[in-house]
Amino acid sequence: MKLRILLADDHEIIRRGLCSLLQGHKGWEVCGEASDGREAIEMAKQLKPDVVILDIGMPHLNGLDATRQLLQHDPHFKVIVLTITDSDQVIREALNAGARGFVLKSDAARDLVSAVEALESNRMFFTPRVNDLVMAGFLDKGHAIVRNEPPDLPVLTAREREVTQLLAEGKSSKEVASLLNLSTKTVETHRSNIMRKLSLHSIRDLVVYAIKNNIIQIQVPPHLNGTTQSTLA
Amino acid sequence: MAVRILLVDDHPVVRQGLRTLLEGRAEWEVVGEASDGVEALEKVGSLQPDVVVLDVTMPRMNGIEACRLIQQKTPGLEVLFVTQHDSPQMMQEAMAAGARGYVVKSNLARDLLEAVEAVSQHRAFTALARNSLSC
Repeated sequence: MKLRILLADDHEIIRRGLCSLLQGHKGWEVCGEASDGREAIEMAKQLKPDVVILDIGMPHLNGLDATRQLLQHDPHFKVIVLTITDSDQVIREALNAGARGFVLKSDAARDLVSAVEALESNRMFFTPRVNDLVMAGFLDKGHAIVRNEPPDLPVLTAREREVTQLLAEGKSSKEVASLLNLSTKTVETHRSNIMRKLSLHSIRDLVVYAIKNNIIQIQVPPHLNGTTQSTLA
Repeated sequence: MAVRILLVDDHPVVRQGLRTLLEGRAEWEVVGEASDGVEALEKVGSLQPDVVVLDVTMPRMNGIEACRLIQQKTPGLEVLFVTQHDSPQMMQEAMAAGARGYVVKSNLARDLLEAVEAVSQHRAFTALARNSLSC
């Protein structure tokens, strides 16, 4: 029987590239493609794939929150996250969310097949940097880095994080309500709870919080950030 | 006669995705790939493509600079930018560097084939995420 893979990335060109890589492997099939975290969760529940590949920087619901929600629904899902950065915080969040694989997008052509093979054999797959971080946490048990949540994150519920992402993406309370099938009043309540819990005073503060905590990822023109590499966010 | 296309992007996965989309057209041939502007210039010389599909942000030499040099070296070679920068300013800069087309990565499924077709026939094609113009 074929290994069934669900693939979620908001860029169709990346999905095409990844699909082409994965379909080239004998015995694997891409059973579904999603373009945001919410769609990925719906499709995963319906299609029950063997492996779910989730980009972190997706609109509406990012890949980290989608991983959390998916594994809360069914802890047997095997998730690989695709990321543009392997910063300590993103690694920590991905591991805490329960991802079993962690692949940099820039290395996906080289690493993704190995990552899926690892999960197929019930192993995990991480970049060398993740392994270093895990080892550092293991050796320094008093400060086990993998177990430590970033200080701000546990404060918000899963629903509040969803609302935070949508508001930070520039949606109005009415639009958020429509996307989440809630009343505008409920969204307003979530919004004021979020602002109170995080001691924020404006939407601008909320956007900054969302960026700092990887709830949304932004794209900065090259002349502003000095980077010479595409980010594929 | 087949349209010969050179793909230039620093991410192999993106090149793979572009190749998959473009190879769906029998009359188009992807003759080579490059991962930065310097390599693109070398391959323009050796492969003599009809169209260069070029990313903006790349290591060693970015796409804008590569486009200027391509136009100096091979005037009239058609360049189509395929970029994540959904910005009118970046689009202006790209066109001023001598490109014939500009499309954003988030809308490639919609725009890429039409853009390559236009550019290969020496027509301009520019499309940001929310609007597109072909002439």
